[in-house]
Amino acid sequence: MIPRERIRNFCIIAHVDHGKSTLADRLLEVTGTISKRDLTEQVLDQMDLEREKGITIKAKAVRMLYRALDGLDYQLNLIDTPGHVDFAYEVSRALASCEGALLVVDAAQGIEAQTLANTYQAIEHNLSIIPVINKIDLPSAQPEHVADEVERVIGLAREDCIMASAKTGVGTIEILEAIVRQVPAPVGEASKPVRALIFDSHYDTHKGVVAYVRMIDGQLRAGQKIVMIQTGITADLLEVGAFRPKGVQEASLEPGEVGYIATGLKSVADCRVGDTVTDASRPAPEALDGYQPVKPMVYAGFFPVESTDFPLLRDALDKLKLNDAALVYQPETSVALGFGFRCGFLGLLHMEIVQERLERDYNLNLLATVPSVEYEVLTTKGEIIRVDNPSGLPSPDRIDTISEPWMGIQVVAPKIYIGAIMDLVTARRGEYKKMEYLDEGRVLLQYSVPLAEIIIDFFDQLKSRTQGYASLDYAIEGLRAGPLVRLDVLVNGEPVDALSLIIHRDKAYDHGRVLVEKLRGLIPRHMFEIPIQAAVGARVIARETVRAMRKDVLSKCYGGDISRKRKLLEKQKEGKLRMKRVGNVEIPQEAFLAVLKLS
Amino acid sequence: MILRLGGGDKHIDPMTAGGPSAAYANRVRLDGKIGAPPPRWHTPRSAYIHVPFCRTMCAYCDFATFAGVEQHIPAYVASLADEIRIGSPGANPDVPLETMYLGGGTPSLLEPAQLETIITAIATRFGARLNLAEVTLEANPGFNPALIGSWVNLGVNRVSLGVQSLDDPTLKRLGRTHDAETAIRAVEALKACGSISVNLDLIYGLPWQTLEMWQEHLKRALETEPDHVSLYALAIEVGTPLASQVSSGQWSVPDDDLVADMYDVALPELTQAGFRHYEVSNWAKPGHESRHNLAYWRNEAYHGFGVGAHRYIDGRRSWNVRSLDHYLAAMQSGRPVEEGSETLGPDATPGETAMLALRMRDEGIDFARFIERFGIDPRERWRTIFDEVAPHGFLRVDDSRACLTDRGLLASNDIASRFL
Ligand SMILES: Nc1nc2c(ncn2[C@@H]2O[C@H](COP(=O)(O)OP(=O)(O)OP(=O)(O)O)[C@@H](O)[C@H]2O)c(=O)[nH]1
Ligand code: SF4
Ligand SMILES: [Mg+2]
Repeated sequence: MIPRERIRNFCIIAHVDHGKSTLADRLLEVTGTISKRDLTEQVLDQMDLEREKGITIKAKAVRMLYRALDGLDYQLNLIDTPGHVDFAYEVSRALASCEGALLVVDAAQGIEAQTLANTYQAIEHNLSIIPVINKIDLPSAQPEHVADEVERVIGLAREDCIMASAKTGVGTIEILEAIVRQVPAPVGEASKPVRALIFDSHYDTHKGVVAYVRMIDGQLRAGQKIVMIQTGITADLLEVGAFRPKGVQEASLEPGEVGYIATGLKSVADCRVGDTVTDASRPAPEALDGYQPVKPMVYAGFFPVESTDFPLLRDALDKLKLNDAALVYQPETSVALGFGFRCGFLGLLHMEIVQERLERDYNLNLLATVPSVEYEVLTTKGEIIRVDNPSGLPSPDRIDTISEPWMGIQVVAPKIYIGAIMDLVTARRGEYKKMEYLDEGRVLLQYSVPLAEIIIDFFDQLKSRTQGYASLDYAIEGLRAGPLVRLDVLVNGEPVDALSLIIHRDKAYDHGRVLVEKLRGLIPRHMFEIPIQAAVGARVIARETVRAMRKDVLSKCYGGDISRKRKLLEKQKEGKLRMKRVGNVEIPQEAFLAVLKLS
Repeated sequence: MILRLGGGDKHIDPMTAGGPSAAYANRVRLDGKIGAPPPRWHTPRSAYIHVPFCRTMCAYCDFATFAGVEQHIPAYVASLADEIRIGSPGANPDVPLETMYLGGGTPSLLEPAQLETIITAIATRFGARLNLAEVTLEANPGFNPALIGSWVNLGVNRVSLGVQSLDDPTLKRLGRTHDAETAIRAVEALKACGSISVNLDLIYGLPWQTLEMWQEHLKRALETEPDHVSLYALAIEVGTPLASQVSSGQWSVPDDDLVADMYDVALPELTQAGFRHYEVSNWAKPGHESRHNLAYWRNEAYHGFGVGAHRYIDGRRSWNVRSLDHYLAAMQSGRPVEEGSETLGPDATPGETAMLALRMRDEGIDFARFIERFGIDPRERWRTIFDEVAPHGFLRVDDSRACLTDRGLLASNDIASRFL
């Protein structure tokens, strides 16, 4: 067994795509944890979606044994963290489980928004940071320049930067040696009551919930009865071990070690990230700091396209929930879309992932409504209610104030785009906070922006206005009151609940106009004229008309080919059946999707 | 061989002739036994014969037809005659043929002897029992007027002429081989012979066509005094040269409202010229309605012979191969030329029948006929559809039938699809 003094726990932090997962591959390979033959690219990204999107979604830990140049064997625990801001809380728990961090910066891209955000977090967690300049093999690499930037912006000495290529393997040994030398050994005492931090978990059909833990004090063994301090849930440990990278059972988990515990529990919600595991018979008096129950930031309605699929959707959500504590949902009924679920997500990526899994793994065809944030409404009676669905907003006369979440955002971009970024942020009701030059050419911009303005198309807009050069990071700042109203859409006089949204008063007019114009093109002509109106309260602010149908005819019978004609009309009828009916108007699915793409 | 024409008396109105009960009730059957003849929706009284040859291909055409393969015409005619003699599957030989339609393609490309071969085959197959009221030949302007006499001798009493437009630049763009002048002369020659009912096909809703152009050309077409006109709103069919011109941006898809305007301006024009609007796209002087086509719209049975031909016999629809080579090879080696078939169950046939019936402006869904044929009263079966559609002025329902209005005819897809 490796003594505690020779354990090193570290994570890799980087802006998305700067090469975290690829560097992890190299470390696994050089330490012999995985043979070259077994190495697939980004070996830790096991989920289909991770492989497809090329990003890490779930945190994972892997234990490596490394014989350092001093001739001694070290236990290195690497925690690979998700790169996306939606999973910021998981990242913070992973950081809390480490003593050190490899800060990976792309030699061609330099410091980006998430590089900074992650670095600040690592500093907050008191981690010792080892800067690694990666991808030096690229023709466009400017390692010296990036090293300057690291020194100037982050304050890490440029001579401490390790020049590496996760692709060719250059620098891997230097990185391992730096970990051994610079990352402090964990502290902890075997004799104290057990305390272990859960930094991620997944559901396994045989072993139930498997939690990734960082041992602080005490020891964990199979057969032990444990309790989760925050939730009070108990379990009998089926197994303890470490991932290398396949799960390998161990006799025990010792102070300072990182490993897994198999709990037999049925749902990851019972084993929440950030909770503290302790021994049920000798519980620790206090939980570890920093526990936060996950809180959704973005809400949307999911409705099955085929209304008969509703029970399937419910089962699928129940199953996903077993492995995704952050997902919340409750049944919702829409006049336009029928039965579905109002779901809460960590962010847009999380929403996209959930939707993709429902559609792919459970073969569901879904209609998702416009994502919404959670508003806090102070009523005239002085009650506070939370509203995550525009249709749940009280009538205007009952509202005193509406508050919405605002985010602090950081953008890193070449300075020529300052104007373009400023324009976008202003259009999104953002407020300028400050600007810093990272070097002669690049700036770090900070703003406050309402989350509601970020979740619809902000990142895509930022990318396109900066030709992909800008990077973005954001974190919640707090709630602010504002003149918010609900914009309703009426089709032939009937409100279409699924098209309502909460919006700033000053934007309602423009948005309403664009929306009804778009809908006019998407709602097919009926036998009667259909007015489409956008309204705030009782006031109609925009109106378009779908004129009555005039021509919809198969002129010719194709020389006795009745079958063809009938099939064409059958298709037309099927198309109509797939539409959603509001009053006596058939609204195609695309109309509901169109509101997602307005901007 | 000269066909004896029976029942082709122009004073009998095709709109009221036929029908399940009128003409054949209590007739003496041809086998000498007394009894009702098999119903028209089971046993064909009509035959369609396809001639898949054209001089060139028109830009909008997706019919089963071929240009530049005239060398195959003799072999085709021989095979076609064979197919006719072998007979349609399930055909009841006891029932006389009333209408015959030589369509294409361009049947007027055939030489009289070739037409005679085909018609002789029909006579051999149905000979003693022929009672033909209507024999239609499709023709394109540019045929030799000297042929008209031989057509009449062969029994042709209706010619459907593919005029399409009387605007020379339009005809060029459509890839037609004739000009307006030729078309007008062709109508005159046909009219002059005295015994031929002449139909003109015209297309409207062309991407470059203005309302004024259309009105002007329709007027000129009517001045030639045809007996029947078919006005087809252009359909841009995938795979045609016109479709690729549209997708390449050379033309834009004609605006639905403009096309509707074209239809609207044509209606009074035609009424004034003495035509009766009897089907979505068809107008006839009284007595000149196409009996053959009425059989389709009434969802009655018909034979089909030739490349790509469709037939409907004993409730079964089937169709021949669309490829000329496959057809010839199959016929020559005695293999079947039928490529596919479908049989609609008793649940689906009434809906299909309604879909077709609605094409007929005044006949519409005839309640008595539906009750006789299916034992179904449309007023019960389709009550909700009637209630939903009628208030908007697209459908009229009275005691005997449900018919589309002029507005309804132009929007018939939406309405007809509800019955399927
Ligand atoms: N040329 C070159 N490419 C590299 C190097 N390291 C990583 N890459 C490529 O950069 C891309 C992103 O690498 P990943 O390892 O998936 O990045 P990541 O930081 O883990 O990304 P997230 O998990 O999404 O945060 C992949 O296409 C890698 O093949 C390197 O040293 N040189
Ligand atoms: S003449 Fe008629 S069948 Fe022949 S190509 Fe032209 S449109 Fe088609
Ligand atoms: Mg990764």
